[in-house]
Amino acid sequence: MEPFRMDVNKYKEMLQKYLYTKDENALYQAGQFSKQTMRHNILPEEIINIHIQSLKEIYPDLPPTIDDSLNFLLETMISYGLAYQEFISLREKQTELESEIAVAASMQQTLLSTKKPNVPGLDIGSISVPAHQMNGDYYHFVKDRHQNIGIAIADVIGKGVPAALAMSMIKYSLDSLPETMRNPSQVLQSLNRVVERNVTASMFITMFYGWYQYETCTLHYASAGHEPGYYYSAKDDRFYEMKTKGLVLGVSDEANYEQVKVQLEKNDTIILFTDGVTECRVGERFLEIEEVLEVIKAHMHLPAQEAVDKVFRHFERLQDFQLRDDFTLIILKKQVS
Amino acid sequence: MEIKSCVKIRKEWDIVSARQMGREMAKELGFGTVDQARIATAISELARNIYLYAEDGQIDYEVITEVNRRGIKITAHDNGPGIEDLGRVMEDGYSTSGGLGAGLPGVKRLMNHFDLQSEPGKGTTVTAIKWVR
Amino acid sequence: MNLEIERLDNGETKILKVNGEVDVYTAPQLKEALVPLTKQEGAKVIVDLENVTYMDSTGLGVFIGALKSTKEYNSEMRLVSMHDRVRRLFEITGLDSIMNIDTTVRGGK
Repeated sequence: MEPFRMDVNKYKEMLQKYLYTKDENALYQAGQFSKQTMRHNILPEEIINIHIQSLKEIYPDLPPTIDDSLNFLLETMISYGLAYQEFISLREKQTELESEIAVAASMQQTLLSTKKPNVPGLDIGSISVPAHQMNGDYYHFVKDRHQNIGIAIADVIGKGVPAALAMSMIKYSLDSLPETMRNPSQVLQSLNRVVERNVTASMFITMFYGWYQYETCTLHYASAGHEPGYYYSAKDDRFYEMKTKGLVLGVSDEANYEQVKVQLEKNDTIILFTDGVTECRVGERFLEIEEVLEVIKAHMHLPAQEAVDKVFRHFERLQDFQLRDDFTLIILKKQVS
Repeated sequence: MEIKSCVKIRKEWDIVSARQMGREMAKELGFGTVDQARIATAISELARNIYLYAEDGQIDYEVITEVNRRGIKITAHDNGPGIEDLGRVMEDGYSTSGGLGAGLPGVKRLMNHFDLQSEPGKGTTVTAIKWVR
Repeated sequence: MNLEIERLDNGETKILKVNGEVDVYTAPQLKEALVPLTKQEGAKVIVDLENVTYMDSTGLGVFIGALKSTKEYNSEMRLVSMHDRVRRLFEITGLDSIMNIDTTVRGGK
């Protein structure tokens, strides 16, 4: 940017023109001038100062009281000038922080990325969208050589950077579990001990863990205080809550996790989510779970990925495109019986 | 040639005397109206800090002359509680006096040179210089 | 949405009446009022949630923190008059099994 000098003559000309013509164009020029001064960080007291100088040149016989009163005005502007400088410096700092968070968010995405497994006869759709830059929700798939898959979905208390840090801890604990450990209840118990040792008193994580056995088409699952998922039975044409008892991770190292299984038939569907979906607020009202399921059902005939994407778009629009909480939704659809 | 003077700060009224002394010296030195106002505001801020937090202190004024420039040097010192975390006080968005909302970062901006020394329990010394443009 | 916390002590029992929504913004206020009470050796604390219409996971976190502190200081905490929506949160998270939650609904309403 070329250096900017406050040009008294130019200002005087503009002022003079305005005083003689009362022309809107001169006011437009004043507006442009003010934008230019802001671009160059010129402070309000300096603008008042050249105003005083210009006025004195235009009216050499300016009454001293007017001059004094303008000096008085100048004095009152000093603090505004300081506040403006502080604002500029804070804005720079904010830009810096934002770019750091953007880097962290993309690191998080790489660290926590998971590949949706390809299992014959099972159509899987998944979506996870953070309310802010960093995601406090997490989901993860693993698949073994027998086509069995493990599904984890978790939500950390709070949002943003601290939540994201806790998520990385979960991800690495999950990765370090031995391959033979597939029993959801055991998986949660082991994670609970890790979390309990490593978080502050008021922090906790909710998590659902499921193990899908390819041969038997059964899903075994357990939940650590996670928002219950739903099982849609095509035969009955209705949803069943996947009830199971278990305390959130990180509160007590003695917690036990009840394990339940469900047998999937053709077109049966498993729906897993975080409370960003169920605690969806429209205006002052919360959506009832029935309304959420209705929306999901309306999209269930679509391929699973398309369905979750469309359901997300639906809720995003309902909330005026401003998510209040991280949103994660997974759908597993059994295709061939 | 060195001209030195000082104003003691004990009551709120002393803040006004401190400003006035600074403004008069600045005028004599040939500072323009805007800089006069800035110097007075900086002094005001320093004196307010003394009045609100140290109860007793003083502002010294000095004309300094270098080969090719002249300026005014303001030194505010007190034996008050001192400042624990200097870095935090100099951060934007933090204001100790709550007065003008400018605080010490504001003084730094209003002047050309700024130095702060403080030890908890032993008081604070702030030095600020502004050169005639 | 604001949160208001009233102290309505009854003899030795310390009663906190919470009014409003407990979320990520107001939870620190609840924490500040509640946790110090649970740190008094042997204290009995009742938290009245009759006027709490919404609570998010940060609010649950405050109660978990308070519960841990009751164990450390041998004090007691009881939660009373919860709304259904709030109660559901305690049930899903399994916290109802480790916290003292009064299931009786207040009469008169």
